[in-house]
Amino acid sequence: MKLRFFLSEALDSLVRNWVMSVAAIVTVLVSMFVLGIGAVIFVNLEQASSSVRSKLEIEVFMKNTASPDQISQLGDQIRAMPEVRVVNYVSKEEAMNRLRESMKGHEDVLAALSGNPLPPSYEIYLKDPSLIDSVASRFYDNPNVDNDSIAHLGANMSPDATTLKFSTGDPSKLAAIAANMYLIVDNEVMKASGDPSGNNVSVIRAQAGTTAAAHNANAEVYNTDGVKTGGNTSDRVITVTHYIEMGGAGFVALLAVASILLISNTIRLSIFARRREVEIMRLVGATSWFIRWPFIMEGIFTGLVGATGAMVLFLLVQKYFIDKIISQMPFMGMGVDTVSTFWLILSIIGGGCLLGSLGSSLALRRFLKI
Amino acid sequence: MIRFENVTKTYDPNIVGLKDVNVHIERGEFAFLVGHSGSGKSTFIRLLLKEFEPTKGSIAVAGRNLGRMRRAAVPHHRRSIGCVFQDFKLLPNRSVAENVAYALRVTGQPVRSIRRKVPEILQLVGLGEKMNNLPDELSAGEQQRVSVARAFVNHPSLLVADEPTGNLDPDTSVGIMQLLYRINRTGTTVLMATHDREMVDKMRKRVIALEEGSVVRDEDKGLYR
Repeated sequence: MKLRFFLSEALDSLVRNWVMSVAAIVTVLVSMFVLGIGAVIFVNLEQASSSVRSKLEIEVFMKNTASPDQISQLGDQIRAMPEVRVVNYVSKEEAMNRLRESMKGHEDVLAALSGNPLPPSYEIYLKDPSLIDSVASRFYDNPNVDNDSIAHLGANMSPDATTLKFSTGDPSKLAAIAANMYLIVDNEVMKASGDPSGNNVSVIRAQAGTTAAAHNANAEVYNTDGVKTGGNTSDRVITVTHYIEMGGAGFVALLAVASILLISNTIRLSIFARRREVEIMRLVGATSWFIRWPFIMEGIFTGLVGATGAMVLFLLVQKYFIDKIISQMPFMGMGVDTVSTFWLILSIIGGGCLLGSLGSSLALRRFLKI
Repeated sequence: MIRFENVTKTYDPNIVGLKDVNVHIERGEFAFLVGHSGSGKSTFIRLLLKEFEPTKGSIAVAGRNLGRMRRAAVPHHRRSIGCVFQDFKLLPNRSVAENVAYALRVTGQPVRSIRRKVPEILQLVGLGEKMNNLPDELSAGEQQRVSVARAFVNHPSLLVADEPTGNLDPDTSVGIMQLLYRINRTGTTVLMATHDREMVDKMRKRVIALEEGSVVRDEDKGLYR
């Protein structure tokens, strides 16, 4: 009985104020739609950045003097670390195969090597890439680990990067490493000028190219497919992702505030339009909540209708636009993630209700004197 | 029924609404509240409805002390008082029956009792034939009858009328007065604020005269003067 009364009052008010109601509904629709598009962009950025992050890794090279026992012991140690997501063991033979692969057409360089000087190594992928430095530092003191060679590796080597960077646990060896750097640019091997500074060796190439790999000819070869320009790659990627996330969240919050204010304005007009009813309700002794409920319902209803419209529009856009982009761009490394329909519907309905009720309570608080 | 004790109401900053008013009105009484505009009649009525608090003094209605009443109890207090106003305060887009039903609906009464009470009270005020008309289709006197019906449909023990005949011609006013008189005869206390000299003189009921917020005269079977 009461519910029916509230609903009919709210609907009555919506219909009577239909111009303003439509305006509010459209605003909620637009806000929620942009919110949804924002969510897709957000999800994809998150995915893209996490795919970049997941390629950041630590490589730990063993000394050639390390015994198989010592090697497998270190492997167990690494696996026991809680921060570690994946550990790959790269044997001497595997390392040689990889080097051959990357130096195709330059077998003469390899021929100069006697036997297989490449050390076995562990490739470590972390759960949280921001811990890359603290985890890497644990290996500096290990007597079986070649301290010169603990390198931070990443993917996404940008073609225009001219500087590649190595880190090492033993600064005294920086000069030796720097002196023995080779750079492979567009399949041409050239002597690189290494520049030791701090804990790092930067290899500088004269010109940006499409592919680049730097090698240390001093037997310990660093496969550096992805070390990026100067500065700490992992930190930079994480920072940029963080800023993008913060910016996105800020934008979404701004839109939500705009929706709340617009609904609140509609309810304010509705309160004004129904001031006679409110006055009479007060006089005949309706309780405060009895007077408030129709307005709250009107706000929620406005929010819901707008949100539902946004949802329909969003699903259409996802079906006819985003999905098409995906099918036409299979080469896009990350692929566009679509937001799961169930969660979308749930969050949009919830969001509409929330915006509506917040908007109307704001208006009631300010404009309805009971 | 109504007990004002040393009630003073001052509006910001120094405008006096009521000044040290002592009034007792017994259950079942019919009383006129007379005085010029600004003499404090409206303040008196609004204090009764607990729309605001007196600056000093205490007010009791039907044995309940308004000063000690919790906010949540105010709506229930108002349900026990029927109100009629000069401007009728009807909802223009609802029919006569809906206007009366509205008062019952917003106080949470069951549909069945609303369906029973509304036609009953409209018969009583003589509008049984016009239940489904809109207020605009009625004369001013008929509209005021709807307003009285709405005030009385709950059978409150107190009916307050603030210049109910202020917008009506003398003949129509008589009809409204007769209605209020009949309501009074059922045992309902009626308090009526008015300018209507003729009516007060004709009725010969208790007259409480206000001037600049003070009670200057309070006599049984009084005249307007």
